Amino acid sequence: MTQMTQAMGHLDAEKLSAFIDGELPASESQAIQEHLADCHPCALRVLSATRLKAVTARAAQRFAVPPEALARLTAQIRPQEPKRAARIYSIRSVAWAALAASLLLAASLFVWRQAHQANALSAELLDQHLATLSSGASPEVISTDRHTVKPWFEGKLPFSFNLPDPLPTDTTLKGGNLAFLDGQPAALLLFTIHKHEVSVFLTQRSAGPIATVLPRIRSGFTIRSATTQDLHIFAVSDVNPADLDLLVSDLKDAQSPR
Amino acid sequence: MSSAASSASFEQLALPLLPSLYSHAFWLSRNHAEAEDLVQETISKALRAFDSFQADTNFKAWIFRILRNTFLTSRTGIAASRTVFLEDHPALIDIADASATPEDHLIRLDNQAAVNQALDRLQPPLREVLLLCDVEELKYKDIALVLEVPIGTVMSRISRARRALHQLLQSQLGESL
Repeated sequence: MTQMTQAMGHLDAEKLSAFIDGELPASESQAIQEHLADCHPCALRVLSATRLKAVTARAAQRFAVPPEALARLTAQIRPQEPKRAARIYSIRSVAWAALAASLLLAASLFVWRQAHQANALSAELLDQHLATLSSGASPEVISTDRHTVKPWFEGKLPFSFNLPDPLPTDTTLKGGNLAFLDGQPAALLLFTIHKHEVSVFLTQRSAGPIATVLPRIRSGFTIRSATTQDLHIFAVSDVNPADLDLLVSDLKDAQSPR
Repeated sequence: MSSAASSASFEQLALPLLPSLYSHAFWLSRNHAEAEDLVQETISKALRAFDSFQADTNFKAWIFRILRNTFLTSRTGIAASRTVFLEDHPALIDIADASATPEDHLIRLDNQAAVNQALDRLQPPLREVLLLCDVEELKYKDIALVLEVPIGTVMSRISRARRALHQLLQSQLGESL
């Protein structure tokens, strides 16, 4: 079998897998990135593999631990230290311990739920971003003019938003689409920053809880989120994180009344 | 005696991993009662062996390895291990790849039910490695530790698992169209 490591060779399946898992040395990863910029078939394969990885993760998370089982397992780990002294504890201290244990369990469940939700949401963000990239279809509204894009959403979404003017350097608005994120209607705004595609999702904050702490990177893509008084803002791209931060912070600032 | 115990308690390390251990145990055994038993036994074994845990190893990989060995010695695990698993044959793999056009690789993945089904149908050893990588987000070197195989085998098995999953999806979608 050939192990193609030179910059010009097509990616073999193992290299491709290792690449999307972030398992290759930086120099090799860099060479592959350069190859992908010129090789459409390999870029499609990487895109497809990245999406497959994301949906696999989501599919596998179907079997969550039932709360009662988690409680029993937690109890198995927790009480090991005070066991010897437990006999001389009064009922009251046992009750306190039980209360503490149940609080801890509730807290760990909460943390797990949050992590689970954040993971699912980031997978969804990445999926939608990749779908936008791969479909090749034009956005519903194609315009670089914020005065065209913003009114297009009126009546289609239960909220409104502002677009920053001017946009950060070398950032271009390409258009917009309606999208659904976490079951909620969202405005999908498409930008490019230095030719990198950026998907920005705006959803209504009052529409429901959305996990607050998202992983900042997923499958090599940067994910950023911000919250304004009324909106959640999510941005996904493979652009340099600093540039993405700039766009997100401008979008955030544009929402506050001057 | 061990440096691990001084830097973090077993409880601190193990408690956050319970949901992951359970979910993985379920995937191995495909049964809720058995999954709980497996995790319970894993915890007992891990507690007893915690003194030998090296602080510089990945705790998650260490305890997943115990879970895996617990499963392999369980009744379901012994039955499962009788199924012959064809180890990685690179030559076999590339044939499938050559016939597909790049566009064929972009199958529709928005059909979550199809993905669930394909994952169910995937050969258990292939599914196992994929779960460790894509769900548990373990690095290849830690997966090698869990499965007790060389890192090169991890790499080829993951790649093989993805292609198998991809083919299952393609055939499923082909059937339904």
